[in-house]
This record gives sequence, structure tokens and C-alpha cells, in this order.
Amino acid sequence: MSRLIGIVGVPPLAVIEKINRDGDRIVDLDEPQIRAPIDQTAAHIPRVYCAILRTVVLNSLHLPLDLVYIDVGPGKCDCALHVSDILADLLRVPVIRTRNQDTRSFGYPLCTSRMPLMEKVSRITKSVQSAAPHAPVPPCQPSCGFWGVPPRDFALLDLFPETTHVFGWTRCMENKTPADLELEHQVDPTIPMVFFSQSFCAKSALAKHLADKHPRAIAIDCDVTPSSSTRAKIEAFLELSGVVPDRRHTP
Amino acid sequence: MLLADFGTSYSKILDTAKGDTPLILPTKELPRSFMADLATGHNAGRRSRRSINELTALARGGYALIQRPDFVLLDCGSRDIKFVRFQDGKVADMGWNAECGASMGFTIELLSTYYNLDYAEIPPPTTGFSVTCGVLGMSHIFDAIIAGASEAEAVAGFVRGIALNAYRFAHEPEELYLSGGLCSNPLFVACLPGRVHTLGRFVLLAGLQATLAQDAHPDSLLPGQTKS
Repeated sequence: MSRLIGIVGVPPLAVIEKINRDGDRIVDLDEPQIRAPIDQTAAHIPRVYCAILRTVVLNSLHLPLDLVYIDVGPGKCDCALHVSDILADLLRVPVIRTRNQDTRSFGYPLCTSRMPLMEKVSRITKSVQSAAPHAPVPPCQPSCGFWGVPPRDFALLDLFPETTHVFGWTRCMENKTPADLELEHQVDPTIPMVFFSQSFCAKSALAKHLADKHPRAIAIDCDVTPSSSTRAKIEAFLELSGVVPDRRHTP
Repeated sequence: MLLADFGTSYSKILDTAKGDTPLILPTKELPRSFMADLATGHNAGRRSRRSINELTALARGGYALIQRPDFVLLDCGSRDIKFVRFQDGKVADMGWNAECGASMGFTIELLSTYYNLDYAEIPPPTTGFSVTCGVLGMSHIFDAIIAGASEAEAVAGFVRGIALNAYRFAHEPEELYLSGGLCSNPLFVACLPGRVHTLGRFVLLAGLQATLAQDAHPDSLLPGQTKS
């Protein structure tokens, strides 16, 4: 009988290969998997904390997990290291800490493809669950760039046009090298770029730093869900940069 | 054509068929059925047939009014602060602070009513409080009054803190254009460092007018637009 394996971050390829080989099912604990108030986690993790890791705890409280792999190395963050302690105490199943330092590049065809950004990032996060090479996807001419981690709430992404290229840790995810800082620093100075970080994430310093150096960029952060002013800021930035934002979802 | 800038506290409305003088009325007194043709601000999406983003309206209005390639424009409203910086006729930087700048203008107005103060009669103080948000800054006022300051002195310190916070938010330019309701507050304006030019409360309406003008002449360019 297949087991339900929770993953946090991007575990090493060898771990993914083993899970796939054993025929177990993977659930990405970084993404919302259940409908429950995130404040249910307040007894275990501070409210003022990375919303992705609060989501990890929320999922872990509800899902019938058999095992958790949580990446705590340079490809994830110190916050995950501490959350691994919380999970180990909270759950009655093994919590295995990994330190993914894989260097074999799988490429990032989805990051440079033409498709709605929400779908693009969904497919990238899903691709972590497979050890297979990526299917080829034709690249497109970029109109703007999104740099950062996959946001806790993908609704943040729906303002961006289909020709948005993806950079930062999300690109490292697709490349299956989450600790590749050089790739994470990569930007395109010829297009307007939005540098995103989760509120209370250490990467917010890098987002601000890279945005300051970029000729046409803004840095934004977002906690659990994007506020109307965060969405308006992205919309105005795109509009004033000559990019037509997708306003279908504007409230 | 009915244009509207729906602010949190006040709405600014211009009927282009009736002249150039906008009407200002408290947003809470606006009839629920009121519908503009083109609008910006809170609820613009629901209260108008077509809406544009506030920052976009600010940039377009500022560019139309200031008519310079390089400038920084800071808008201080009831609920939030926002700025745009133009360089070589293009938007080079922008920001919108609805969280830590929360309720600054609204709080300043509440304080003048509560303490019965006229901001035109209060000289700018040389020192003030470190204020990050209108609500959190209130406790500084109460502490200062308990410590012996007059109500006017305490509120002046608060206003100075808010002005400096807004100025830093715009990255401390040597020359600053100011728009929004706080243009009418002499104490706030006097507390801003550097050279300050006040543009008043209708810059976002000017942005809506610039949008209309562009609709009428699609070949003209708005800030950020490039010929394809």
C-alpha cells in the first residue's frame, strides 16, 4: 500500500527517486492542501512568521502523513530548520531532515515559456515531485519578470501577463538546484521585474537588494494573502512600465 | 463625463461637462447609487463604469501637471501614502504604503477635531516623535501630555514624525511635489524637509483627465507607454 509522504522545500533528487520508485504519493506541504484557518497553527508556531512554513504546520496537523522530508539546508532556510523541530515533536511519524545541494541542472523551460503565470508556477512546484527530465517547452520573448519563491497564495500571480519570465528560487526549483545562489541572483535588466518575497523571509533582503540594482523594478512582500494595495502596486508597476496587466481578477 | 477620485475620507468629483472645478464631499455622504464614468481610489471598481489604479492615476496626473522629466511626487491621503519618481520622463520608482503608513491623514484630522486645534496656528517643532503609523503614534501624544507638553506641542511632534516618515518613504528627495489632503495642512507641509511644492487634492483627477485625453488621441503617449 502506498504511503503519503510530505515534502517541505525541494528534497534531494535521490529522495524523490526513492519515493517514486517505492510507489509512494507525495504531498507538497509548502502549499495549502486543506481548508482550515491558518491561525490553528498559533499554538505551535508564531503568527508573525513565514506564511509558507505556517502552512506546512497547518497541513501537518490535518493530513494523514506517513513520513515527512523537510529540506533544511542552503536550498531552503533557517526557519525550516526550526520548523523541523516543531514537526518532529508534533507528529508521530518520522521527520527526516535533508540538505539538498544537488548541482545537476535540469534546465528551466517552464520559467521562460508562454503561459499564465499561475499555471506556470503550479507546474514548476509540481515538477519537484518527479525525478524525470522536463519536457521541452518553447521559450517566449519576455515582457516582464517575476523573481522569488512561489508565493503562499498564487492569487498574487494572476495580474502578470503570460509572457512573464520566472527568476529567483522558483527558477532554481525547476532546475532542481535549490541551493544554486548564482542562479537565484540571475535577473534580466532589459525587462521590468517584480521582486517578490514572503513577509518575514530572509530572502526579502536579497529581493530588495536586487530590485535596487535593477533599472526598472519593485520589491514587494506578502504574508498570507495579497492585500488589495499589494495587488494595486503590481498592477500600477506593470501598467507604468508599459506592460498590460491582466485585470480580469482585480476586485 | 463624470470623473471621481474616491478617497477614504473625501471623494473628489469632476463633471467635465460643467467646468473645471471639482466637488469635494465626504465619502460617507456619497449616495450609494452614485456611479462615475471613470474613477480611481477605493471602491472605484464598483462605483464606476471604468476604473484605473491609484498609482497609475497619480503618475499620469503628476506628469501632466508638473511637466518636468525628473521629479518625485508624494501623495499623502487619509489612509495611505504613495509616491512616484520620474526620471527622463519615465517612472523610475514607486511605492504604496497602506500598512505602516496607515491612517496618517485620518489620524491628523481626528486629532485636530478632538483637541480643537488649528494647524495653521501651530509652529513646526524642531523635534518630534518617531512615528511609523498613525495609530501606533497616538501613544506618544498621550505620553508627551502626561510629561507636561501642551496638547498643541504634543500633536505638533506627532505631525512632524508623520511628515518625516512620509518623506523617508519617498527616499528623501531634495525637491518634493506633494499632493493629497495633507497639502492643506500648513504644519505638515512645514515639517517636510527640502523644497516642497504643493499640488493640492486633484492630482488623481488630473490623471483621469490625462487618461481621457489619451483615449481621444491614442497616438499621444502616457508615462510608461512606448510606441510599438
